[in-house]
Amino acid sequence: MSRAKLQGLGIDLPLFPVTAVGSFPKLDFLLKARTEFANKRIRLGALEKAERQATEFWIRKQEELGVDVLVDGEMYRGDMVAYFAEHLEGFEEGGLVRSYGNRYYHKPVITGEVHWDEPITLEWWKYARGITSKPLKGILTGPYTIMDWSFVEFYPDRHTACLALAKEIRKEVEALIEEGARIIQIDEPAISVRPEELPVAIEAMHIVTDGLPAYFIAHICYGAFENIYPGMLDLPVDNFDLEMSNSGLDMLELFKKCQYTKDISFGVVDVHTHVVEGEQVVEQRLRKALELLPKEAIWVDPDCGLKTRTVDEAIGKMQSVVTAAKALRAVTSDK
Amino acid sequence: MELSLCNHSSYPRIGDDAEHQLLRRTIAQWDKGEKTDEAVRAAQDRMTELAIAEQVEAGLDLVTDGQIRWHDPISHLAAKLSGVRIDGLSRFFDTNFYFRQPVVQGKLERTEPLLLEEFKFAQERSARPVKVVFTGPYTLARHSVEKTGGAGGFDKMLEGYTAALAAEVAALAGAGAKVIQVEEPALLKYLDDFPRLEQSLTALAMSKDSAQLALVFYFGDPAPIYDHLQTLPVDLLGFDFTYNPDLVDKVASNGTARTLVLGLVDGRNTRLEDPASAARQLEKLARGADLNRAYLSPSCGLEFLPRGGARQKLKHLAVIRNTFLGSPS
Repeated sequence: MSRAKLQGLGIDLPLFPVTAVGSFPKLDFLLKARTEFANKRIRLGALEKAERQATEFWIRKQEELGVDVLVDGEMYRGDMVAYFAEHLEGFEEGGLVRSYGNRYYHKPVITGEVHWDEPITLEWWKYARGITSKPLKGILTGPYTIMDWSFVEFYPDRHTACLALAKEIRKEVEALIEEGARIIQIDEPAISVRPEELPVAIEAMHIVTDGLPAYFIAHICYGAFENIYPGMLDLPVDNFDLEMSNSGLDMLELFKKCQYTKDISFGVVDVHTHVVEGEQVVEQRLRKALELLPKEAIWVDPDCGLKTRTVDEAIGKMQSVVTAAKALRAVTSDK
Repeated sequence: MELSLCNHSSYPRIGDDAEHQLLRRTIAQWDKGEKTDEAVRAAQDRMTELAIAEQVEAGLDLVTDGQIRWHDPISHLAAKLSGVRIDGLSRFFDTNFYFRQPVVQGKLERTEPLLLEEFKFAQERSARPVKVVFTGPYTLARHSVEKTGGAGGFDKMLEGYTAALAAEVAALAGAGAKVIQVEEPALLKYLDDFPRLEQSLTALAMSKDSAQLALVFYFGDPAPIYDHLQTLPVDLLGFDFTYNPDLVDKVASNGTARTLVLGLVDGRNTRLEDPASAARQLEKLARGADLNRAYLSPSCGLEFLPRGGARQKLKHLAVIRNTFLGSPS
């Protein structure tokens, strides 16, 4: 069904299309530029030049590896929520809050009515599209996750805040589609932690995607899927991009109990280990998926963004994904 | 009427200014081999002193050590027990905070004090009584995984954690702890396990001597088991009122003989509660509970807020109390 939708949008993909989830590690020269910019030693133009160079590196690398649907690598983003909070009206930067151990982040605060003034990611999407002929995903953080990972001071409750954000995020989606984006990924890693709020997330996703001519992917990771499955299938998207390998493919057990009905971007490499999985391990994981899911429905990618890995690890993991997908493509395409 | 004020449990370990970055920077340098264990301990000591001072300054009657030394609510305790290996990160309830997951691979045993020295340090430096806080055996067991049957099943893990923490309760009571708070948020996800909790709590209560034992829930709604909780052998019951707006009515109508820890101030959001609205909630609660011996508290640990927000929330407790009691804030 969704493959037909893609073709209707002018996108023809092979079996087991390979993609990345979104982020790649920042290259050394970019890390240095970010530090210099933070310390006011270089201007914004110099930082953006480094971000463009790093984006081009990852576009070329994905092409070289044989990735089918590219991402821009998010060289210009820091935290996935803070980046959008910095560009939407109604947010202020909050103080430091612990994430784990000795890691902290500035948690945004919604202090006013949220408002999308101008495109946030569009210029980067256009830049990346301009240097590749491959399909390129537009990638946004979803309204539920932005709400959940912010302090909500302005709105009376989480539901109202989430729907207000959804209306603004839709404007970014419309801007991307207007420029030609046909595959849009909405990142919603927070969606699984409060199962009682799944209806809120679904309502918000309707606001973001309804009636728009694009193939929509929802990326969800590191949550208790058992709490929201099969209810999550009501999210109005075509494809779920799921972290499968980190959880030992546990999600497949849920699929056995209740049929999975959408396309899937099947996470086949763990992004939180330095170990680069061999192509055989990846292929075995894919074969497990094939036991339950139609081959036309399966995309292949890492569990999550690769930004926490080294450049070599990220390339190695993507190489394993591509090699395994191609191997499986060769033996299943005529069956 | 009196209404006491207390901190819930944790307090931010850092802040945005240089003084409050001490621990973060010291640990980062320790990671690179540039600082010693002693330097980390000294930084923890200093940040604990600051956390206590800010609680005292906010006018609290009962403070905590802020759990400044805790890596997270699970591994800080589990890592000190034999039979446990600490593994990768896992999400802590519905937060964007992650704990290191214990893997139980043998018999759980307490081979050293878990919190005793931390309590002694804090009490020596506090002008107010210090409440000792720890994650309860049930929640520890629920957040642990068992390696190839090494633990003997969930009930054995619960038994092991219970025995270890009962010994700790005895040690803490012996060292002069007046209030010992056991946190069991995981039970709210497994309400049918109430009998297991009851058995575990009973073992802890037998060790408490003259100390008061507090059982505290957060990140969920305790209303479905509210009446059962009244039967437990604890002196204080603490609730997070942010998950169910009707919980206030439940307490008002069903009443309680226990001292309550009233988590009316949201420890997960920086927005300050309307004092008049909170005072109305207290008026309702007074119909079912004796607020003369109750504590007004944040709904959960304050480390989910930035330091400035946490400090404001603590000061806001007094504003709400004064509004309730009818005196100027």
